[in-house]
Amino acid sequence: MEIIIEEISRGHKLLGRHKFAKQSINVGRGYHSDIILSDPHVCAEHLSIEFDGDNWLIADQDSINGCFLDDGNKPANGHIVRSGDVITLGKSQIRVVFPHHPVETSITLSPFENLINLTKHPVALFVNIALFAIITGWMFFLNNPKEVTFTQLFVPSIGLTLMFAIWPASVALISHLTKHDARIFTQLGLCFVFYNLTWFSDFIEALVKFNTSSQFPLTALLALLPISIAFCLFWLNCYVGFHMSSKRRTVVAVCLTTLLFGGSFLIEMSKKPDFSIRPHFNSTLLTPSFMFAKSSSVDEFIENSNELFSEAKKSVKKDD
Amino acid sequence: MKGLISLLLVLVCNISVAVEQAETIFKQHAPSLYQIRLIDKASGEKSSIGSGFQISSDGLIATNYHVISSYARHPEKYRIEFLDNQGKKAHLELKSIDVINDLALVKRDVEQEMPFFTIANSVPTKGEELYSLGNPHDLGMIVVPGTYNGLKKESFNDRIHFTGSVNSGMSGGPVVNKNSDVVGINVATSGNQIGFLVPHDKLLALVKTYKEQNNLTIAQQMEQQLNQNQKKLIGTLLDSNWQLRKLGEGLIPTIDVPFIRCWGESNADKSDALVMLAVANCSLEENTYISGNFFTGALEMEFRYMQAKKLSDVKFYQLFQRQIARVMPGNKAGKDDVTEFQCQHDIVMPENQLINNKAILCTRAYKDFNDLYDVLYLGISIDRDDQAFISHFTLAGVAQNSAQAFTSKFMESVSWK
Repeated sequence: MEIIIEEISRGHKLLGRHKFAKQSINVGRGYHSDIILSDPHVCAEHLSIEFDGDNWLIADQDSINGCFLDDGNKPANGHIVRSGDVITLGKSQIRVVFPHHPVETSITLSPFENLINLTKHPVALFVNIALFAIITGWMFFLNNPKEVTFTQLFVPSIGLTLMFAIWPASVALISHLTKHDARIFTQLGLCFVFYNLTWFSDFIEALVKFNTSSQFPLTALLALLPISIAFCLFWLNCYVGFHMSSKRRTVVAVCLTTLLFGGSFLIEMSKKPDFSIRPHFNSTLLTPSFMFAKSSSVDEFIENSNELFSEAKKSVKKDD
Repeated sequence: MKGLISLLLVLVCNISVAVEQAETIFKQHAPSLYQIRLIDKASGEKSSIGSGFQISSDGLIATNYHVISSYARHPEKYRIEFLDNQGKKAHLELKSIDVINDLALVKRDVEQEMPFFTIANSVPTKGEELYSLGNPHDLGMIVVPGTYNGLKKESFNDRIHFTGSVNSGMSGGPVVNKNSDVVGINVATSGNQIGFLVPHDKLLALVKTYKEQNNLTIAQQMEQQLNQNQKKLIGTLLDSNWQLRKLGEGLIPTIDVPFIRCWGESNADKSDALVMLAVANCSLEENTYISGNFFTGALEMEFRYMQAKKLSDVKFYQLFQRQIARVMPGNKAGKDDVTEFQCQHDIVMPENQLINNKAILCTRAYKDFNDLYDVLYLGISIDRDDQAFISHFTLAGVAQNSAQAFTSKFMESVSWK
């Protein structure tokens, strides 16, 4: 009768797996044990698992700290083992599985996975990072009212690029620390693709804001664009970096997105003064070649302002 | 030499005559002159002072609105007191105001008929000697001789230009001619020897309205006066000739009225500037004081012409966008006075189709005065790659129809050459 014993961490992550074809297996800190645990709370001869012909039974070898079922306080001594049982000894845990234990159905290798792997290709990676650095430098250039030299743009754009590389690097570090594949180049490639998508979505937002009037009802929806980009990025970070169920992955991505946008929203709110004398309006400007909208007449503009005045009047009542 | 001595003699004589005159006027009228003080009820101390003078035997006293403005806005916080030439203090009651001309009528209780100032029924002649009375800086009542210099030309609501020192605290004091008739009321100063007075006819008009119909509350009077004044102002502006003048490659409207004055500036001297800039400002340099930081009735127009010199059009528009995001209103009204600005924007082309603008209109309503708004407009040209033209105005304390009519005319007037 064969038996499989898995060493697992407290978070039920697999640390080692052993298959035995014996009638009795010893677990302990001593080097003569079949499974050697280095946990100092485990005795040299801690417990044994024995086959009596019908069942596997757990026998505590008078250990100091005892052994228990699962994480609970139920003593495991004399327990008849069922496949998948987790036994706690000292601060360690083992899981006992029989050969017929069912496994999850296999996941097909999706073309999606290939697409993700494409981002770590050295050329793609270089192009994406370079594109990001160039756009960043260009933004510095556009927003600087004085004449600037190449070095003056080079330093901040490289600095910012490095700063943005911190996120994929830390995700890779966390997956490495949690015994997952680090896949740092995939993470880097993915992140920079999405950072560049954010530049693109900024442009789309500016284009829409430039071409529409305040009467356009869907301007608020534009905010969804960066939010969905961030959600996709976080989801993929989890997909690449960690083995988790798709439900858990979605929850993590939603939480990170909420933290990012909710946090910046809260910071914005906390800075907002009680009363601002400064008017807030859409000041988006692009060059004339991006103007596609039809112009209104002065009369239409004045006609629309009736609503503006009645809104102002309403807010007097609201403040009272 | 002889001539010089005789000239000096004449001068000395004139001065002594003036001093004598001033002395008699002062002696004669001291009992009808008051220091008006606003007492903060909670602390019991005076929070502001000014001067006032009695204009009827039954105790009606004229002063400036700005002397008692805090009381007019917050009657629960203050009370008004007078201090007469004998050091007697007593309570005053606010009867009527003219916020546009900065006048107020207060009333004291009198036991018997009292002497008072008579108000002149004719306008002084240019160069006529006048005497301004008041209590500057709480130093006691004084007389300041000066000269009548006619009405200030650049002012929408009439003000007398008086050459003489009007100091703070003299506000609300009378200015009399040789016959001791009141021809004006001290109201403002513009530095050394330049003072401004409210003409006597405004006071006569206020007394008349007060006697005819005194059933409106102070707030209602204020609302009515502000409303009438904005109607008169915007009406005058819209009926005036709007001349188109060149600014760079653009055309700007200048309104042909003496009370709107224009100033200009450019960076033509800076050869290394990335953008060539020419600015023209036109404004009504006069506003109505309501209280604290709250001024209204102002009008400002600003035009900027910009041309990119060593810039790509993308960078030009990016810099341009940063500049327009910093627009501020002309007056610093607070939370208690106005709502926050609300804005609308659109792409607008005037009828002549000579320019295509991104137009932004913002407005905020006055909390205490019905149908009065501050309006801010910003027009930004978006049809030329390397040139930009910003047209901007702010109007304070106008009604919706006035604001819309002015905005419409303004938007139709601005264009490329």
